[in-house]
Amino acid sequence: MVYKTVKKEAPGRGEVDILAETYEAGIPAGEEVGRWRQKMESRDEKLKYLKSGERYWYSDDWFGSEKRKNPA
Amino acid sequence: MPEEKPAKSIDQATQELIEKANKEGVNTAFDRAESLKPCPIGAAGSCCKHCGMGPCRVPLPKGKEETPEEKQKRRGVCGATAETIAARNFIRMVAGGASAHSDHGRGVAELFLAVAKGKAPGYEIKDEQKLLQLALDWDIEIGDRSNNEIAVDIGEKALAEFGKQEGELITLRKAPLKRQELWRQQGVAPRGIDREIVEIMHRTHIGVDQDYVNLLKQGVRAAIGDGWGGSMIATELQDILFGTPAPILGKANLGVLKEKEVNIIIHGHEPLLSEMIVAAAAESEMLELAKSKDAEGINLSGMCCTANEILMRHGVPIAGNFLQQELAIVTGAVDAMVVDVQCIMQSIQTVAECYHTKIITTAAKAKIPGATHIEFNEHDAMKSAREIVKTAIENFPNRKGNIMIPDHQCDQIAGFSHETINYLLGGMFRASYRPLNDNIINGRIRGVAGVVGCNNARVKHNEAHIVMVKELIKNDVLVITTGCNAIACAEAGLMVPEAASKYAGEGLAEVCETVGIPPVLHMGSCVDNSRILIAATAMVKDGGLGDDISDLPVAGAAPEWMSEKAISIGQYFVASGVYTVFGVTWPTEGSKEVTEFLFKDMEKLYGGMWDFQPDPVRAAQLMIAHIDSKRKALGIDQARERVLYDMEMRRELEG
Repeated sequence: MVYKTVKKEAPGRGEVDILAETYEAGIPAGEEVGRWRQKMESRDEKLKYLKSGERYWYSDDWFGSEKRKNPA
Repeated sequence: MPEEKPAKSIDQATQELIEKANKEGVNTAFDRAESLKPCPIGAAGSCCKHCGMGPCRVPLPKGKEETPEEKQKRRGVCGATAETIAARNFIRMVAGGASAHSDHGRGVAELFLAVAKGKAPGYEIKDEQKLLQLALDWDIEIGDRSNNEIAVDIGEKALAEFGKQEGELITLRKAPLKRQELWRQQGVAPRGIDREIVEIMHRTHIGVDQDYVNLLKQGVRAAIGDGWGGSMIATELQDILFGTPAPILGKANLGVLKEKEVNIIIHGHEPLLSEMIVAAAAESEMLELAKSKDAEGINLSGMCCTANEILMRHGVPIAGNFLQQELAIVTGAVDAMVVDVQCIMQSIQTVAECYHTKIITTAAKAKIPGATHIEFNEHDAMKSAREIVKTAIENFPNRKGNIMIPDHQCDQIAGFSHETINYLLGGMFRASYRPLNDNIINGRIRGVAGVVGCNNARVKHNEAHIVMVKELIKNDVLVITTGCNAIACAEAGLMVPEAASKYAGEGLAEVCETVGIPPVLHMGSCVDNSRILIAATAMVKDGGLGDDISDLPVAGAAPEWMSEKAISIGQYFVASGVYTVFGVTWPTEGSKEVTEFLFKDMEKLYGGMWDFQPDPVRAAQLMIAHIDSKRKALGIDQARERVLYDMEMRRELEG
């Protein structure tokens, strides 16, 4: 993932590059608006997302109705 | 002064075109519904025409209780009782519906395999993540294999599910664990998609299964094979080929047609060819050709579920739903209506003959006498698509001048696949159904209703859809929708985020505003009802709302149903644990026992049951009452005051 940076004044150091926001900007615009799946580029990223985002089916590491001491 | 007839639609554009059709002497479904009354015996499921000794009609006596002796005599020539006949008819509807969805799924699987093998130029795998997801679901090796290698395995496995003879469908694994177990205990886990449909046809043949409970059980098995099988395969593979839907802006209603452009309407259900038509219509060569015929451009729009498919993925506008198909032609501005399968009225050809419209059939299995047939060839789909677009363009100069496009269209946001809802509720790093479940638990959202299904010319067009949906969202019930209901909601302006503050209850509106979603979420076409099943499963798995779909505060409805597909959809929702209300008419009214079984006994077996209520407000109230009963069972029926613990209270707790 490529991180955005912004230039800020730092006390005693002048202008420095610091990490900008890592979240999606509040008002998306343009043709690609809403197309969130294309943000994931590599196969590893996509598999990782499945394990977290779709954890109900693809991970053992979550809590829910089927992950209790006495499962359904 | 002659008495003014009540309007046949709540939609202004539809009303205007019905009037135009009347003036021009064009006969439409609205006229035929008036002149051709439904057979009351057939409508109640009391007519058996399964053999040459019949048809045997076994209606309930009118206006009095049936005596035991009369009931004994209420049989067909072969001795089949009214119960057997009603159950046979009902599950044959399930078989019809399940076969339609599943044959769609098979067509997608065949194309998918051809794409994977490089034998379908023009198509490609657009959603690698969904491909990987299916590989994980179906135990297919990923490793360093190419997408096409993985896809070949997926395609072969998908196709095998249709003809599988034993075991159970691989797609059932997506269901909640408890539901899977229940299906096994009840003996209704489908062995293969086709097998269960064929078995219905066998069992309902004269002299085979004559126990209505046993017949209805097979109806459950075949319907599960539809929703959790054929339809689900169609949805999943279409997502891989054409992309998983994400929020997209579109427009709906007949006002999307453009007077100065070549209008092509794509109508039917399958997105296989329509995806190519979308691409062909954008080619500069086609635009040049259109301009050479004095058209300003090419305007594509959709109708019925093909419309939903291309809207969800490309934002192509929707011209209308089932009962608007003839009226679109009545505008005089449609240069070609391209059809594939399902819900296509034969009369569009007759209507088209009054204007200049070319009806183009594209499926070998669905032809119409008089129509132009340009067969879709998956191995050279672009050629078929270009020929279709060219035919439409060349027809543009043949317009007859009696053009009237109603000035009515609405914005809509579509594209709410399960994956997108999950993402919207949590973002890339914490995608989750938790916010939805939390808001159901805290009572801002009372429950979720899936409102789907057709139009039916026996009732006022779109009225039951909109009245029901408005009643539900007013009572803080989030509505998820597919098919013709989705189109009706879009035409009524319910599918934009602003609709939440206008029509939804305070709690639901608050959640919609926070997430930025409409109170009615468009999930796609009728095979995409499988997305609703997956969304319900995700709600269960996330926790806090029980262990199974039957525990959730949810309900389903098809207020204007007419097709066999709707019956199959209803049956698999009931078999999945959902209380499901249908409107218009009920197809087993001729047998109290069969109706009682569907409305009451099914709940004991599957946790979900059917109901019938033609009044959409009352039907919505039934759904809300069911949702409330589920909330009570979960112990979330009363708002709990939040208590902020101070140190002293915490110490007490620890002690």
